[in-house]
Amino acid sequence: MSRKMILRVPKFQEPKRMEKSEAQRLWLLLKDAIVEVQHMNASTLSFEELYRSSYSLVIAKRGDILYTGLEEVNNHHTKNLLDKIAQAVDERFLIELNSQWQQYKLQQIMIHDILMYLDRMYVKEPQLKVFDLGMFKWKQNVLIHSQINDRLVRMLLGLIHMERNGEVIDGALMKSLIQMYVDVSLKEKETYKQEFEERFLLATSHFYKSESNLFITNNSCGAYLKKVEIRLIEEEARIKQYLDESTGPKLIKACEDELIANHMQTMIEMETGCRTMIQNDRFNELKLMYRLFQRVENGLVHLKNEFAGYVRNEGHKIVNQPENLKDPNALITSLIEIRNRFEKTLSQSFANNRDFINSVNTAFESFLNENDKLSESLALFIDKKLRGGFKDSNDQEIDVIMNKVILLFRFLSDKDVFKKFYEHYLAKRLLSGRSFSEDLERTMISKFKQECGNQFTSKMEGMFTDMRLSKDALDGFKNYLQTSVEMGKLPKIDMSVRVLTQGFWPTFPPHSCTLPPLLSQYCDLFTKYYCHAHTGRRIIWQTNIGTAEVTFRLPKKTHVLALSTYQMLIMLLFNDAEKLSLKQMAAGTSISFMDIQRSVKPLYSGKYKVLKRTPAVEKSKELSENDIFELNLNLKCKLHRIKFAATSQTDSEPERQHTRQRVDEDRKIEIDAAIVRIMKSRKALIHNDLIVECTKQLSSRFVPQTSMIKKRIENLIEREYLERFPDDRRRYRYLA
Amino acid sequence: SNDLNKLLKEEQEYSDFEIIVNSPENIKSIFRCHRAILSSRTQYFRGLFRSRMKEYQEGKVEFDNISPEIMLQILQFIYNGKIEINQENAIELLIHSQKLLLFDLELFHYLDQFIMD
Repeated sequence: MSRKMILRVPKFQEPKRMEKSEAQRLWLLLKDAIVEVQHMNASTLSFEELYRSSYSLVIAKRGDILYTGLEEVNNHHTKNLLDKIAQAVDERFLIELNSQWQQYKLQQIMIHDILMYLDRMYVKEPQLKVFDLGMFKWKQNVLIHSQINDRLVRMLLGLIHMERNGEVIDGALMKSLIQMYVDVSLKEKETYKQEFEERFLLATSHFYKSESNLFITNNSCGAYLKKVEIRLIEEEARIKQYLDESTGPKLIKACEDELIANHMQTMIEMETGCRTMIQNDRFNELKLMYRLFQRVENGLVHLKNEFAGYVRNEGHKIVNQPENLKDPNALITSLIEIRNRFEKTLSQSFANNRDFINSVNTAFESFLNENDKLSESLALFIDKKLRGGFKDSNDQEIDVIMNKVILLFRFLSDKDVFKKFYEHYLAKRLLSGRSFSEDLERTMISKFKQECGNQFTSKMEGMFTDMRLSKDALDGFKNYLQTSVEMGKLPKIDMSVRVLTQGFWPTFPPHSCTLPPLLSQYCDLFTKYYCHAHTGRRIIWQTNIGTAEVTFRLPKKTHVLALSTYQMLIMLLFNDAEKLSLKQMAAGTSISFMDIQRSVKPLYSGKYKVLKRTPAVEKSKELSENDIFELNLNLKCKLHRIKFAATSQTDSEPERQHTRQRVDEDRKIEIDAAIVRIMKSRKALIHNDLIVECTKQLSSRFVPQTSMIKKRIENLIEREYLERFPDDRRRYRYLA
Repeated sequence: SNDLNKLLKEEQEYSDFEIIVNSPENIKSIFRCHRAILSSRTQYFRGLFRSRMKEYQEGKVEFDNISPEIMLQILQFIYNGKIEINQENAIELLIHSQKLLLFDLELFHYLDQFIMD
């Protein structure tokens, strides 16, 4: 609105006529005043008079006299100043230049104030505003003059160089002189950028290039990193102190390029560099390296790759170390240890960066699956812990270990193998009463459940249910015995039975044996009782995993022997014979010769020998079926109760083989199910797509071999779930 | 803003600057004003004080050919944004406020409205 009004003014007010001489008089008045201002003698001038004069000239349309006159006066004045400044020598030069500049700027403000009316009402683009005109004249006649510009820039850069070398310089003077380049720039700081900034950045790069090359050759990587950090802080301070803020990002970029980006490879590879730091857990140095590398493009990629490479290498060593291959417990313990160590590095040095964590996880996945026994080792590790290894740990420590187990488990590609072994060892723990705490067992299982869902743990939970129900059944059986008629005829023995639902429990290799008549009768009684209570169920006796306590009477002493069922059967034979060959033992018990071998071994070769081999032979010698044993009546043992291992080893190779075979059997079923599921929804599919889809579906449980999937497809075609397209043999169709 | 007007008309105790007006009939009037208000509200007075010239040193400025009524209206406008415009004073107000570059105070807007009407 106000602008519209300005245009309308002449309608109301005819410009007064002004004689040329009057205009000239007013201009001279103003000119004299401007000269006075330029000589710092303004205090006696009348502001109102000068303002009014400029106002009068403008409304009389004589602004041009004033504007061109001003240009000339400024021109003249700045040229005079140039001579004065250029004469100053050495340090005086900067001081003189600065003091003239400071005065000049004040004068220009004053001149602007006097000529305010001219500035507002007369000056039109592309003419410069009154103040800008003053700046322009200074730039043209002083600053970029050949006698000044180059000399000034060289001196400024020289001072900055000195300051970088630790000397103290006059920051206020620097600020004022550098700001001058900004002040005289008419738009976008162009004079500052062209005349100063460009050369400053070049000098900076140059300075840091030579400094960094020299420093890194003569110092450790850690010392270099600290130096870089200090340099960057100094440069940040420099920006605040005397540079224009627009230079900040460019300056920092130049420093980062020279100090960090150009030396990244060296910092990683040098003897005291990144590798050594990771090896020796130098968390603080690594943290600094992370912070600095983060500043440059791709910096973290270098660091991450180096770290991940180290992790893979360390892990590879652990899973292939001969001692670890023999000792699952040591293997898993070492793996948990390095995992903890790397997690510490990740959190203390690498800010738990997602990318770093992911690459460490990828590394774990790759080396953990190098060792095909890892699933079993992990199951064994937990087995040991749950058999009492947790005894001395508090809840929190136990939770930490369990979570680490889950973490390693997560990296396994063959989770089904792990599951089989876990179930196998869980079954053994439960049946031998060796589980340390049911609570801990359940906690562990609930963690697997969280990780893999119900299906993964349903069998394990079934085992626990069976254990509870067995106890009820056994109580019921004992009550039954008391009221039973047949009971009166039988001698009393204490029999304990566990009823295991088929399917929940691992299938133990089938064995057979002949029980002594008394036991056999008890078994029949139990079968009768149980099948009466649960109609429709069938009981299969699994004698080979049972235990028994037998009284062993020596001439002077009596012991109780805790034995496996097989060992009991063997020992009972000695009630009727003095000497027995292995062959005879096998015949007397109907136990397979291999099981006889394994069961006898702890009895004659352990710490306490209840059997002796006659004639005595070296222990290590393999047993043959004609070897003869007799009771060791000279047994010396202070214990009343003597416990024997069921077999010579906790788990024999055949048993392991058996577990692995069962995994394969289960995989066939899983693959079949996956293929059928996929084909049912897709109806028709090309061979390769089916393989890919199937592998994807099963990947959470195991990595199926392509050859195995192929075999299963063939099998399903035979069973008429699928058929090949007659015209395209590579395509399958689902048969509903 | 009434308080500011009071400052102009009654409370002269804190005044630190005088505006002397010589009317066309050559009658002298004095307005006792405040540098802080004048310089913060107008470019003209900001320049006048900033340049530290005679007026700044003496603490007064003299304007010729302006009637005290017009000056009072202008000062009232500077102090509290209120102005009384009528047939008699409109043109004069326009001329003087333009000279003092009072555009920022939207005085022109009021005058424009008035003259248009």
